Amino acid sequence: MKQNITQSGQKILRALGRHSELIMQAYIEGTVDESQHSPQVLENLQQLGLLWRPDAESDLRLRRVVRAILEAGLSDERNRQVDANIASALSKLYTLVAHYKEACDKHKFIEAEAHLADLTELTYAMIDTLKQGVRGLWSRIHKEFGYVASIDAKIRENQLAQQQVTDLLTQLEMFEFDKLAQEAGSNRDLRRLLVVTLQSNFSLVAQELSLVQARLIELLGRFREFQGKTRLLKGFILHLEQKPNYQPAQYTRHRQVPNLFNLASDLLKPAAINVNQTEHEAELSEIVARIKAIQHLHKPKPIMPAQVVVVEDNETLELTDNKIKKAVEAYFCHIIDTGERISALDYHLQHNLEFDTEAWLYQVIGGFEALSASDKAYFSVEKSLRDHPLYSGNKIIEDVQLWFR
Amino acid sequence: MMTQQGRVLEILLSGHFICRVSDEEAFLYLQHENHLNQIEQQLNILNRTLSSAADGEVFYASYLTLHDKERTILERQFKEISSNLLPLVEWLLLIQESSAQDTPLTQGAAIRLNEIQSTIEDTPAFLEQLSKISAYPLFGSLSKTADGQLKQIFKRLTELGYLVKPNSEKQIYIATGKIEYLYEVLRFIDETEALSLTEQAAAAMQQGVLL
Repeated sequence: MKQNITQSGQKILRALGRHSELIMQAYIEGTVDESQHSPQVLENLQQLGLLWRPDAESDLRLRRVVRAILEAGLSDERNRQVDANIASALSKLYTLVAHYKEACDKHKFIEAEAHLADLTELTYAMIDTLKQGVRGLWSRIHKEFGYVASIDAKIRENQLAQQQVTDLLTQLEMFEFDKLAQEAGSNRDLRRLLVVTLQSNFSLVAQELSLVQARLIELLGRFREFQGKTRLLKGFILHLEQKPNYQPAQYTRHRQVPNLFNLASDLLKPAAINVNQTEHEAELSEIVARIKAIQHLHKPKPIMPAQVVVVEDNETLELTDNKIKKAVEAYFCHIIDTGERISALDYHLQHNLEFDTEAWLYQVIGGFEALSASDKAYFSVEKSLRDHPLYSGNKIIEDVQLWFR
Repeated sequence: MMTQQGRVLEILLSGHFICRVSDEEAFLYLQHENHLNQIEQQLNILNRTLSSAADGEVFYASYLTLHDKERTILERQFKEISSNLLPLVEWLLLIQESSAQDTPLTQGAAIRLNEIQSTIEDTPAFLEQLSKISAYPLFGSLSKTADGQLKQIFKRLTELGYLVKPNSEKQIYIATGKIEYLYEVLRFIDETEALSLTEQAAAAMQQGVLL
């Protein structure tokens, strides 16, 4: 038995999942477009009780229960129905209590347990419906009936909600707790369910409902005020359309001018500067500093005549290290001319050159390295090297010997 | 440093309205009876008295006794009020119809100029209405574009104290208590002259006359 129920339940859920697109389309559009789906699928969904055809000529629609699941899950604003048929639920409750008690009396405990489970389900379902109704009302209040555009529609929606609250409250009045307590008697399970659970939730819902009612009345008042203001504005325009020459009566000529039109003229004008006030000196001088010179009060300057553009050659750039380079060239020429072997330092000494010896040596080596390979071949070079006192492998060049081959 | 009392006095004597939106501090200051009495005494010296309208939502200074000089001023002001009524009422209805919710503008309600502008620009009837409203001497717009017309209208309304712009960089305006004063003026005229404006509007709406 249990196996069977699980299987058919899963079958329904699978069908819901498999055809979710079709179902959502039906939810949004209201009807199923039969031309888009195979008749087999539609037949199957109808058999499972997910879709139905209200009459032979109309389109397929979603069953109310499926819609309700989706509306609850999506908190859809279209769900504005407050469903609280407490009366029938209560009579079912009493019937189940009677079944349960009978089973208990006859010591049929398994049967009693099943009845109690049904009873629990029913009680919780009842509470859930009530709470759902209150929740729905609150969400509508919070949105201030934003799903309808005009004030008049909001007022109608508000009146519907108020009607629903009244209905819910009359439904709640049907709970007779003494009768429930009597029914429950001394049975612990029944007492817990019928007295404790129901009663605490009942008072909660009743409390919420009175808050809802107060808010609804407040909102209605505001809507009515809006409506009044809108009508006032529209009425005024309408009146002027009918009587274009309309002028309000001259209330200010009445002996007693209505306070509304008694508006005193402005009395205060900006104060003037007192230059003798020493405290203000700093601020005043700052203001003076900020005063901008007004350009258009000055004489316009004559427009400058166009200048003749003189194009000149760029000056040749003199490099600072030219001197030392020239000296190196002179040194090379000296070697070529004389053909003697002379060290760079000796040349430096002979010609009393002003450069630093290290820079001189560096420039000589550089000058030699800069020669083209064919020119290099005319010279021989020898560096007198000394090991660095601290760092082995490093050499210090003390002098360079250069001669012409 | 000026005291709160001095500040309130200055606003009132400059002919401005004090409401919760335009100056909350001054408004709250006036909620104390002691402060009220002090201000009243000081105003009385200058032949003025503190008045309030729209269920105590706005305060302003009015004359204590009326002589010829005051009457001339009041008559001039009243002429201004009555000639401004139609443009203001048309503007209020335009704002109400072009905003997403169909609610009349009330104190503290925000108007997002960009939203209003895009709705108006998309609706030819609103565009026509806007250019009609902006051409009234009250607003005096010479602009041909909806953008220019709207900006001019809102600029004038801010100058006149019907709107405030809390953030100078954002195009969001908030209606002040002076809007409520305007409703009260309409209501007063309606009641005193028995124009039954509300009933006319209700009847017209039932007959399906499109307004």
